[in-house]
Amino acid sequence: MANSNSSALSRRSACRHKRNSNPVKPLRRTMDVSGLKGVCQVAVRSLLSTEETFLSALARINDIVLQPLLRTDQDDQKGKEHMKSLLLLSDRYHAVWDRTEENYKTLKRKYSTSEYSLTLHDIYIILKKDLFLDVYTQYFTCFTNYVVIQGFDRAAKQMSGYWKTNKKMVKQLLAPSVSEPTTAITLHTVLHETIRNQIQQYALILTRLNENAEEIDEKNLVSDALNLYVKLQNFIGQSLDEASLTKILWGSLGSKLVSSLCVPERRLQEDSKYVPVSISTGKFERVLLFDDLLILLQGTDFRSFDLKLVWVDPAPTENSTAASHSLRIITPEEEFLLSSKEPHHKAIWQWKLNQVIRQRLDGKRDFPLWGKSEEGLDPCASRFSTYTFRSECRFKNAVYEGDFSWGKPHGKGTLKWPDGHNYVGDFKEGLEDGFGICLIPHSSEDGYDCYKCHWREGKMQGYGICEYSNETVYKGYFKDNLRHGFGIQESPISSKHPFKYTGHWDRDKKMGYGIWDDIESGQRYIGMWQNDQRHGAGVVVMQSGACYQGTFLMDKITGMGILISEDESVFEGKFTEQLKLDGKGKLTFSDRFTLEGNFISKAGKDLQTRGVLNANSKEQDYDVTRKPQLGLTEFPVEKRWQGIYDPFFEFISSGCREETEESFLGIHVQSSKELRKSQEYLFCQRDSEEISGKIEDVLEALYEYQDLKSLQCYLQKALNSSQHPFAKLLKSLSTVFQATYAGIGANRHLLHMAQEEVKYHAWKTWEFYRNITHVATKQKGQLPDTEEDTEGSEKENSYTLILPVILPRFHPELFMLYMLYHEKEDALYWQGIVHLGLFSDTKLLEFLEVQKNLWPLKDLRLTTNQRHSLVRERCFLSATECLQKIITTVDPREKLGILLKTHEEIETTVSRVMEKEYKLPMDDLLPLLVYVVSRARIQRLGAEIHLIRDLMDPKNEGGIYDFMLTAIESCYEHIQKEEIRLYHFP
Amino acid sequence: MGNNLIGRHTEQHTQPSIQDTGVGKSSIVCRFVQDHFDHNISPTIGASFMTKTVPCGNELHKFLIWDTAGQERFHSLAPMYYRGSAAAVIVYDITKQDSFHTLKKWVKELKEHGPENIVMAIAGNKCDLSDIREVTVKDAREYAESISAIVVETSAKNAINVEELFQGISRQIPPLNSHENGNTGTIKLAKQTSQTSRRCC
Repeated sequence: MANSNSSALSRRSACRHKRNSNPVKPLRRTMDVSGLKGVCQVAVRSLLSTEETFLSALARINDIVLQPLLRTDQDDQKGKEHMKSLLLLSDRYHAVWDRTEENYKTLKRKYSTSEYSLTLHDIYIILKKDLFLDVYTQYFTCFTNYVVIQGFDRAAKQMSGYWKTNKKMVKQLLAPSVSEPTTAITLHTVLHETIRNQIQQYALILTRLNENAEEIDEKNLVSDALNLYVKLQNFIGQSLDEASLTKILWGSLGSKLVSSLCVPERRLQEDSKYVPVSISTGKFERVLLFDDLLILLQGTDFRSFDLKLVWVDPAPTENSTAASHSLRIITPEEEFLLSSKEPHHKAIWQWKLNQVIRQRLDGKRDFPLWGKSEEGLDPCASRFSTYTFRSECRFKNAVYEGDFSWGKPHGKGTLKWPDGHNYVGDFKEGLEDGFGICLIPHSSEDGYDCYKCHWREGKMQGYGICEYSNETVYKGYFKDNLRHGFGIQESPISSKHPFKYTGHWDRDKKMGYGIWDDIESGQRYIGMWQNDQRHGAGVVVMQSGACYQGTFLMDKITGMGILISEDESVFEGKFTEQLKLDGKGKLTFSDRFTLEGNFISKAGKDLQTRGVLNANSKEQDYDVTRKPQLGLTEFPVEKRWQGIYDPFFEFISSGCREETEESFLGIHVQSSKELRKSQEYLFCQRDSEEISGKIEDVLEALYEYQDLKSLQCYLQKALNSSQHPFAKLLKSLSTVFQATYAGIGANRHLLHMAQEEVKYHAWKTWEFYRNITHVATKQKGQLPDTEEDTEGSEKENSYTLILPVILPRFHPELFMLYMLYHEKEDALYWQGIVHLGLFSDTKLLEFLEVQKNLWPLKDLRLTTNQRHSLVRERCFLSATECLQKIITTVDPREKLGILLKTHEEIETTVSRVMEKEYKLPMDDLLPLLVYVVSRARIQRLGAEIHLIRDLMDPKNEGGIYDFMLTAIESCYEHIQKEEIRLYHFP
Repeated sequence: MGNNLIGRHTEQHTQPSIQDTGVGKSSIVCRFVQDHFDHNISPTIGASFMTKTVPCGNELHKFLIWDTAGQERFHSLAPMYYRGSAAAVIVYDITKQDSFHTLKKWVKELKEHGPENIVMAIAGNKCDLSDIREVTVKDAREYAESISAIVVETSAKNAINVEELFQGISRQIPPLNSHENGNTGTIKLAKQTSQTSRRCC
């Protein structure tokens, strides 16, 4: 390879030689030089002449020195490296040569054809200054690299025979000097001096031109170029100095050190031998600063630090006595002090270190090498780099790639352990902090546990999602790497025992209130947990509709319990694991008969008992046990979902900071609706109504919308933005509500629990709003409202402001429970409705004993048919239609408004009939209401009425809404009566 | 018609109850609320629901008065109306012995199924027609005493004793425990107490 290359080069140079040997025409001289043109011509002439000399010198050096050097055979490894450097050098040498010759020829041609049209732009060293700068810097970089690896010394030795024979010829290439240099020095000088001098020539030509140029523009052009060549001269000088210093260093160090540290491009920048400093750590006695490494030396031992990960702290707090001046050197795993006795030594090291680090981070040297000597150019503290941890710690052998600051991972980064464990995410001061995704390989199974979580000081804290290798997923809160607080864990449906747990955790164990779905058996446990076991009060609901309430001890049913079967029979007593009565107990059948006695249940056999059957239980007792409600005292509503509320309130008390939001409130997930919307934005304008979920916008908005009406609009919209804190709270609440009361949990015996929960959520959400508004007001620099809200009006707000907004989230499950609870009554009512539907309007009015004068028909002389149509048209149709609207909303307030409106419609119709304003007393109103209710045919009216009553603002109690609701309820009851359902009309 | 007025002491109501239509329960309420005999001009829900605030000592009592249907067929619905009431007014017609009998049935029903401590008041209406009286004052008094109820003979037509009837109820309704009921908001308004009254018949 090397050989073929060198032969190609020699062919090229041979033919070049031929060209150059052609006699050059003498330059014509003109006398009429004037103005710029004249100046240009002078400059061009001197340029052409100096280039001519230069080119022939290059050719000679090539022939006598460079080509023979390239022809040497290099067998050993080191020799091959040398040849590589030499080839590069030769390549750059020809680049200089080619560029120069090319431009020289172009200029010369132009000069000989149109001498008078020459302008500044033809002086290529101005126009193409960057090109020239490039080839020269590259040449000198290669040259100094060759110097550093002691290439010339080796070449001198290797080819001593050749040099001896051609000594005279080589010497001719040198400027005359007194001393007698060694062959190595001669070669060194020959290969750089001519080239370096040519820059000098250019600078001279430009200096003269600059003096004579008149126009500002031209002057600038020339002086720019001149500056550049002056800088280039500096650069060359500095490079050569650095190289020789480095070369000397390698010469002075042991071969082991040299072989591990010496690379062509590396240059010594500072040495504690010249500027003494002592090292605080270990036994090291010498510091070497290179352009990429900081080396601590002791004999043949050394420790090296990549400058990308070296920080210099000029003012260490400790050990800073007047006698020593120290710099703290900070690296990822080590810190030490460099101390000097002289303050200016410290200053030199500090300056050098910072400059070198900065240049290392920039990835290139300054031009000239120490050009930017001004102050204030310290390296950036924040850097991106890769590092492998070595010391004994959690990070041992892990590779970190990412942002660093002051020696520590800080910012975004990736940490990979050799075993496959890795972390991608935020770091702070050396530890995982912020949001991060962590993969932990599972030794037994072929998979990973994947944590997407919030971290603080190296541990999982706050909200996170973990996808375990067995496909179980946990979504919830963590503390110190363990599941803690509220969380949902769900196994895939395909797993052996599919389950879902929604509830509280304590240090990785189920603890406190929680809901467990056993998907195989179709059972749901609602109740208390301890150490991953059912423990304490608990309710079990079954797919069949049966449910059990009792006490659990370490996962086992214990003590007295109550079982309500799907046919509403109630068993009270001691139960076995299989939920069979065992021992003393009482059985209340749905037909109110009771059976008390000793029960024996054996596997595979029917329940056996000896006891007393009582068929005369009091009706009152029956009423009480008819729809017993579970879980009310066992699970106080304010303690049920504390784990959801706590982080939300902690978020507020911690000051609502954006960066902590996700860890407290859960991770922002774009809903599919929002995704769709954001795609739409590509095509149309952004909706200004859009609500922002960013916490500062939220606080701003809450501050703006303090009046309750606009606030309600705002909250309504906020619920549609998945990032809004309200939406997140509501999402969690409705999730647990569904987990408890949807599906198997749709059991009439849970109605009161559910209803209580919805009201409590409204109240808590109101409290959340109050607290967050306080923060918003405070941030505005105002004192929070001092208005003394009594608890009463607070409660009121939770009913009027919050409940209507949040109810839709709970309504489907809640209403289902109401329907189940009132199933029987609603069935009877419907029978009545169906029956009354058989009546014609007039018959019905008659049947209900509505006074004739209130009938919406005047002329009794009309035929029956005519009367019918008239009645149908006018007979409280508006009131009926009004009442039907009750199912169009879930908001109890609106429903009550509809009831009131229905009454108005009735009275309007009556007033029209009476042809005067008429107010109905109850004696007249009730029959008419029954009429309207029966015609409105609202399904599940019982469920509707009771939902309204339970969720109605308590301040309405006894008031007009309460009255109307009671009136409708009495109609509902009335329609259920046997006399209505079974009336045989004549 | 059976008439019940149910009075609420803030959180409780009053209810009037009279058995037969025509005894004048609605008229009494109208007279009370508007000091007007013709009940066809009345606020809120026609003649079935009315409110009035009356001073009683240092307090203001707000009556929320619920009317009840007096027809026999609706009797069984009455408990819905008087649940949570503070007082009930039962009206009979002094000119109809029958109405007094029905009244007794109502009282019995209230004692059995009504709220504990409900204040009962018996109003013998149409005392302007004492010429054709069938129920004597004495009978009414004795009966009222036996059930410890307030008894007044009234005339809605001539505005006799109507005000007194409700004043009497007001006095008997136990004073508000302001701590317990502090959450209604009414108490905030210059320390006035309100009283709800519900009526049924």
